[in-house]
Amino acid sequence: MSRRTRHAAVALVLVAGLAGCGGGDGGGGDGATLDVLIGANTQYPQEFKAWQQSIAEQFKAQTGASVRFEEFASANDELTKIQTSVVSGTGPDVYAVGTTLTPTAYSTGAFVKLDDEAWGKVGGKDKFVPATLGISGPDERNQVGVPFVSRPFVMVCNTELLRAAGISEPATTWDELRDHAKKLTRDGQYGLAVAYKDNYDPWKFVWGMSAQAGNPLVDGRTAKVQDPIVKQAYETYFGWLTTDKVVDPAAVGWTNSQAIAAFAEGRTGYMALTSTTSAKALDSGATKGKWTFALLPTVPPGATARPAGGVEAASILSGDNLLVADYSDDQDLAFQFVKLVTDQQAQLDYYKAAGNLPANAAALQSLQSDPKLVPVAQAAQKSVATPFTGAWADIQLALTNVVVQSIPDLAKGGVPQLDSRLADAQKAAQSALDRAK
Amino acid sequence: MAKREPRRDLWLLTPGGLLMTLIIVVPLLLAFYLSLIDLDQYTLRRWLDAPFAGLDNFAEAFGSGLPHAIGISVSFAVLSTVATVPFGIAAALATQNAYRGRGLVRALFLVPYVLPSFVVATVWRTMLQPDGIVNTVLATVNIDGGLWLSGPKSYWTLVLVEIWAAWPFLYLMALAGLQSVDSEVYEASAIDGAGWWPKLTRVVLPYLRGPVLLACLLATLNHINNFTLPYVLFGAPAPDDVNVMPMIVYVTSFQSLRFGLSAAMAIVSLLLIAIPLFVYLRALRLDVHEEGGRR
Repeated sequence: MSRRTRHAAVALVLVAGLAGCGGGDGGGGDGATLDVLIGANTQYPQEFKAWQQSIAEQFKAQTGASVRFEEFASANDELTKIQTSVVSGTGPDVYAVGTTLTPTAYSTGAFVKLDDEAWGKVGGKDKFVPATLGISGPDERNQVGVPFVSRPFVMVCNTELLRAAGISEPATTWDELRDHAKKLTRDGQYGLAVAYKDNYDPWKFVWGMSAQAGNPLVDGRTAKVQDPIVKQAYETYFGWLTTDKVVDPAAVGWTNSQAIAAFAEGRTGYMALTSTTSAKALDSGATKGKWTFALLPTVPPGATARPAGGVEAASILSGDNLLVADYSDDQDLAFQFVKLVTDQQAQLDYYKAAGNLPANAAALQSLQSDPKLVPVAQAAQKSVATPFTGAWADIQLALTNVVVQSIPDLAKGGVPQLDSRLADAQKAAQSALDRAK
Repeated sequence: MAKREPRRDLWLLTPGGLLMTLIIVVPLLLAFYLSLIDLDQYTLRRWLDAPFAGLDNFAEAFGSGLPHAIGISVSFAVLSTVATVPFGIAAALATQNAYRGRGLVRALFLVPYVLPSFVVATVWRTMLQPDGIVNTVLATVNIDGGLWLSGPKSYWTLVLVEIWAAWPFLYLMALAGLQSVDSEVYEASAIDGAGWWPKLTRVVLPYLRGPVLLACLLATLNHINNFTLPYVLFGAPAPDDVNVMPMIVYVTSFQSLRFGLSAAMAIVSLLLIAIPLFVYLRALRLDVHEEGGRR
């Protein structure tokens, strides 16, 4: 073999080897495999696996096709997967995307827009809880997300402590919540558990209070973060610790799970923001048999009734949507899968496996026989979507950053730089909206 | 008659060259290209058609938090390195001579280094909570620990935890340097009647200069690039005092989804790291292969 021939052979082998490193997705028709990207469930991993197995078997029986579930650990993992799939045009056929991430996913233009035919394939819009459709797309003609599960936020109350303090019903306004918390605070006992150090909780309070007062933070392409309503929301949120003193000072270091753990010790009246997924932790602590969910207040701070323009936002519209990739060769199969997992029985099975509420209206209705779930179901129905804009991720980040940078002041008992931090947040939010395309 | 130089089969470098190209050159060129375009969530799908932004991303990077992040990163990295040197050398000296239990001591010294950064950060984050064990212990001696994970003190938390996790690297390099000292040198100094201090400062430490300086360079680069530790300790968005370069690049890329801007920040970071590396390698001529190749 000549030297030149040998070189050519080596080069060919290398190129072939490198080409072999690339995988191939896709396929379609009968006997195909559908790839589904879904969030890992760390609380109930065994039950979640069993649900996946059951769905795969049902899907095989219905269509002859297989389902391959791929799990992601965090929203960032999911975003990375979306990015690489969008760029390469290959990847999962179906994505379970968090509601607040849906606007971002929509803005990539990489998912199938749902026309009447597509909605028909998944069983029609009527089968879903109406509120859950609120974040499927920017408007009714541009929807990409099929509601999959609902994770509305609620409060949880220690019924024993509330009864001892003479409180018969959970608070329905933020002022009432503060007053209840003051009554409950005494001798190593606190009225409220709040996760100030959490990277996802704080903005939900601020958005909720502001929306209830008539400011949803985004008006078209204008950010309205530097606004007296928003300032009052932050002051209320910080005031629980600094002026009302109804929160454990250690809460400046708490994430949501730490706040739940503190509440589960049985010495706190209310935990201000949680979902059904915390039930296990609440039942394994000193609160066992002594807790109940309650709707978050829907009347803004400083008011006894919602002002004109205010919305009854009991929670952000939280949960997961199912999106079908437009590069998928198996879109019909993907819609059949979406229909299967959003049908009543599959939704109830998923609730039992993972603790997430159904987005299917009939399935949610059937759960209302459990009195503990009634407030959660109400919260699902009264959830309001955050502004549907690709800029929302940045706005959320800016709102959270106000709290992150204020924590040292918060620990000292006051936040004197709130105005300048709100100005920074306004600038960041407006800049993100200006870039939105 | 001069001996004929054997023919070198340079084509054998092809696999390594191809891999280097794929793993280093292509991503680097790609990152540079991304830094020049307006790539975000809206243009990601057709990234080759994304508008050309020229140096706008670099201008925006310098106009935003990047200079602050560079300052924090460089000072944090240099401080951490300087602080680990005495610990590393002292530990290496303490374990150089054989004694009963030396193997166990050496193994214990390596514990912080072999623990994954994620674990280290999680453990420290738990201990440094406002009501965590550190503040509880400090309270017993009437010291208010305050906030370790927020505000100005978070910077010192980052430095301290990094020192705890990284000093064994200096120890390993110093130990390797010590073991390369010829026994004759010790014997000669003993015959000359040198005490422990002259022996340390005039015999041992000069031998350690090369390995320790190299360790300092590598450690500083590791500190500057450390993402896991600040991310797990403080979360994102991070307090301003610990908003180091990897954090700002991460947030820009994966939370704000501005890939062009984050690529510009990453290029600036790379240049920042490359300058001292280049200067150091040239100054110390660590590239011994070139020297070895001379005849």
